[in-house]
Amino acid sequence: MLHIKCPHCGLRSQNEFSYGGDATVKRPELNKEVSDKDWDNFVYLRKSPVGKHLELWQHISGCRQWIKVERDTLTHEIFKTLKANEEV
Amino acid sequence: MTSISALNHIHKTGLFGNHESKGEENLLKVSEIKNMLIVQIVQYKNSTVSIENIDIDSLKLKDEPLNVVTNNDTRILWNGPKNWLLVSTKKDLLKNISEVLKETDFAITDLSHSRAIIEIEGNDVKEVLKKGCPFNFNILEKNNSINSTYNGIAFTVDMIDDNPNKIRLFALRSFGESLYHSITDSSLEFGYKAI
Repeated sequence: MLHIKCPHCGLRSQNEFSYGGDATVKRPELNKEVSDKDWDNFVYLRKSPVGKHLELWQHISGCRQWIKVERDTLTHEIFKTLKANEEV
Repeated sequence: MTSISALNHIHKTGLFGNHESKGEENLLKVSEIKNMLIVQIVQYKNSTVSIENIDIDSLKLKDEPLNVVTNNDTRILWNGPKNWLLVSTKKDLLKNISEVLKETDFAITDLSHSRAIIEIEGNDVKEVLKKGCPFNFNILEKNNSINSTYNGIAFTVDMIDDNPNKIRLFALRSFGESLYHSITDSSLEFGYKAI
């Protein structure tokens, strides 16, 4: 069981959160031509790193905010949590 | 039109669980709270209005985790950033809220008929909550509130008093029956009086 420190509410159980995927993926810019390959990569291609990974989580049963979590995928250690609009 | 409360056919009064060897004053007291005004207040992200200048029933909105601002009739619970749940016995307060909070800056939603409210009072209240909710209730003080889950059911806890402990639980109306059974099952060990 993980304990995640929500930047809004404080330390809460993982049960209250929902995983939202890789937080480093950037959407292709709006109103610009995007190749099928770039779009395909954006939608489907994900890394599966061992070690530090920046992830999106939603505090779905709490304040309902999206947050960023820097987590070690091997040890599950959580190094840092940020608001969704903050950068590491 | 008569309104039917969320737990109308579910909540039965009487003594339940391990109550025989205890005096009534040592039992948990479980009741349904009805006829409350429940309003969700959300300030839009692009709104620049300062909440310090807002006055609802002599209360100021406070954007602070766990915080509940309160008077005799009304409680305003912090639900998230720029998000509050107002609970009041004054049913006509909605008009006042709509006047004070402009619709260009705030979304006001009347949730009075879409929530089930269970109130529990007694010394073992926190023990009941600990059975189904992962939150550390030892840090929850009087006039604090949290959102969490109880046996998988999303709910809001509002700590009204701490001597003895008195809390209100809010769940979606359709989950009210499940939450009621979860809470009362957990209360059987301590014995409870449904009032």
